[in-house]
Amino acid sequence: MTTVKYKTNIHCGSCIKSVTPALNNLDNVDLWKVDLEHDDKILEVTLDDEDKNSVIEAVKSVGFEIEEI
Amino acid sequence: MKEEYKVAGMTCASCAISIESYLKPQKGILDVAVNYPNQSVTISYDENIIPLETIGNKVKEIGFKLILGTKEDTKKEFEALEAKRLATLKKKLIFAAIFSVPIFIMSMFLIGKIPYENWIMMALALPVLFYSGAEFYTIAWKRLKSFSTNMDTLVALSTGIAFLFSVFNTVNPQYFLSKGLVPHVYFESAVIIITLILLGRFFEEKAKSKTSSAIKKLMGLKPKKVTAIRNGEEKVISYDEILKGELIILKPGDKIPVDGKVKKGTSFIDESMISGEPIPVEKMKGSKVFAGTINQKGSLRIIATKIGDETLLSQIIKLVEEAQSSKPAIQKLADKIAGIFVPIVIGLAIVTSVLWYFLGPDPSITYALLTPITVLIIACPCALGLATPTALMVGIGKGAQQGILIKDAQALETAYKIDTLILDKTGTITEGKPKVTDLIWDKNTVSTELEKVVFAIESESEHPIAEAIVAHLKTIDKENVPIDSFTSITGLGAEATYKNELYRIGNESLMVQKEITIPTQLSTKANSLKSEAKTVVYVAHKNTVVGIIAVADKVKETTLAAIQKLQQMGIEIHMLTGDNEQTAKAIANKVGIKNYQANVMPADKGAFVKKLQAEGKVVAMAGDGINDSHALAQADVGIAMGSGTDIAMESAGITLMHSDLKQISKAIQLSKATMKTIKQNLFWAFIYNLIAIPIAAGALYPINGFLLNPMIAGAAMSMSSISVLSNSLRLKNKNIN
Repeated sequence: MTTVKYKTNIHCGSCIKSVTPALNNLDNVDLWKVDLEHDDKILEVTLDDEDKNSVIEAVKSVGFEIEEI
Repeated sequence: MKEEYKVAGMTCASCAISIESYLKPQKGILDVAVNYPNQSVTISYDENIIPLETIGNKVKEIGFKLILGTKEDTKKEFEALEAKRLATLKKKLIFAAIFSVPIFIMSMFLIGKIPYENWIMMALALPVLFYSGAEFYTIAWKRLKSFSTNMDTLVALSTGIAFLFSVFNTVNPQYFLSKGLVPHVYFESAVIIITLILLGRFFEEKAKSKTSSAIKKLMGLKPKKVTAIRNGEEKVISYDEILKGELIILKPGDKIPVDGKVKKGTSFIDESMISGEPIPVEKMKGSKVFAGTINQKGSLRIIATKIGDETLLSQIIKLVEEAQSSKPAIQKLADKIAGIFVPIVIGLAIVTSVLWYFLGPDPSITYALLTPITVLIIACPCALGLATPTALMVGIGKGAQQGILIKDAQALETAYKIDTLILDKTGTITEGKPKVTDLIWDKNTVSTELEKVVFAIESESEHPIAEAIVAHLKTIDKENVPIDSFTSITGLGAEATYKNELYRIGNESLMVQKEITIPTQLSTKANSLKSEAKTVVYVAHKNTVVGIIAVADKVKETTLAAIQKLQQMGIEIHMLTGDNEQTAKAIANKVGIKNYQANVMPADKGAFVKKLQAEGKVVAMAGDGINDSHALAQADVGIAMGSGTDIAMESAGITLMHSDLKQISKAIQLSKATMKTIKQNLFWAFIYNLIAIPIAAGALYPINGFLLNPMIAGAAMSMSSISVLSNSLRLKNKNIN
């Protein structure tokens, strides 16, 4: 288990709804949460493995910006 | 634009036709299809030419109500209207019965014993005609305007004439007395006819409202509240808020709200409503789960892949709905007869009147008035109205005595025609619960001690097969021995130590994996058990298998004999199951069914029924699960097992309380006997009319001067009713095997 943080532009409730299926469907994602209060809209993900890129791809696929921090 | 709307107020198949024919010629309407059993209409229209409101008004013009609005709202409004209609009908029926019984008693047994009896009967009959029977007159009047007749016309005409004639004779008895004729009254005929017809309608409406409750129950399988994880937090949301791709938490006992995929956790899920198989299925990461199934033990996190109308459960609901509404409307025999009978009787009455007026002796005007009335009274459909309901009532009652519950009279009217029977395997042919069938110990082993150990180990396990073994051993020995440790090995079995010795119980893979020797003798036995489609569990002590336990869903004791009997009756039998090929084959062979299909999904069952129906077969379907509900509703006769789910019982016309297939042949015999009685009844109902109508018209007058006294006409009419009643009651003592 590793916890990874990403900086994103997921800034509202409906943005969260859009990324929900993409992130839930990732096999290696255990838990995730976006901190909407934070300026950088930090997405914190608990991964089963080290494949951090899958999260980046999934979030990008639904049209958001994301980079690991 | 093509939309389906509910229509309120349709009472018969011809109402459907009148809506269709009224709407079709309207400008802007492309097509109209009324579905009477479903009480709905599908309209294709151009909203630029004819707005929906206008269509609604048009429908209103001819006395029906189109329910507009969103799907949920219209459903609710329609249900409320239907419930109201049923309640009103019930009120009218009770009202009619309360007033009719005293009139009947007075006219049958107390004639001439009570002062002012005619006045009293008239007072009692008034509310029956003007409240309970009002709709017959309004419908008959509406039909008259379009020059058509039906059962309502016959009822309105005969009761109306009988009533008016009786009122005339009550108020002014001198008129006929002065002419040497007896002024008889017929209040009892009028009110009894209305009461009986209302009774028939009430039964019909009730059956109709029950079919929709099957769908309501299916819908009830959707949970109202769901726990989802949204943005890292557990949140309780309502069913409608579930999103595709949502992560949902399932606790033990939860109903699964959507079709989905397991993301985390392991558990057993009861999928019997979808597959019909009684053994809960183990689910782990990646397994598919279906809406409506129930989580047994353990927690799961699932991702919603299909929600709302896309789920398998929603598909089943849709199929059941379609199957129920596609059934042809019950074309009532009496209605058909009435279509010919009414115009003939009216014609005869007119001819009679005219002939007497011109050819009759003095006072010819009196005879011209009296004879057509006698004709109309004797043609009263009293016995005709009794013929079908009394036989059905006795038949249904007789069925109930034998544990055959007939919910829908249509099923009893059709059952004797069955030539093809489809049986569901699990729960219908078999018991529906896994049970231990064989318990074989290696000869060198002391079994009592081992049984105690197995009992103790299996009691710890949550596996459904373990439960069956525990249930079986409980009947042999109740003593508990303490085991030292217990470990469950997912997908394989369990191991435990007792008195410092290692025991393992599980499937063949476990034995292979742990390199446990299986003695040849036990291995051969295990193979032969497997070929009978039984699940074999191995019991190992240290490194050797010492016993095997076979678990299977047993064939019910009565099944084989029942199937043979049905085959002797010339009925072709098919078996359908969601189970695998090997099990299906083993069971089919065991009970002597040649045609079977394995791995059948719920929708396929209904489609198979449809296919056979398309080949012109009269198909009965027997089943017990939600997965059978579509096929049960689609079949000409649906037969549910009393031990099955409520939804199966709601979808079927017949329920077998003993869950015993022998009852099916009994139900068929009962249907045969009932139909025979109905036909005999119709004969009795008509024979009096056929003989008495010409006499009433005065056919014998030119020959011997005989003119039927209206009182004898009335007596002949009651005789036909009595014949019909006693003939129906004869059914009670008939032997049904």
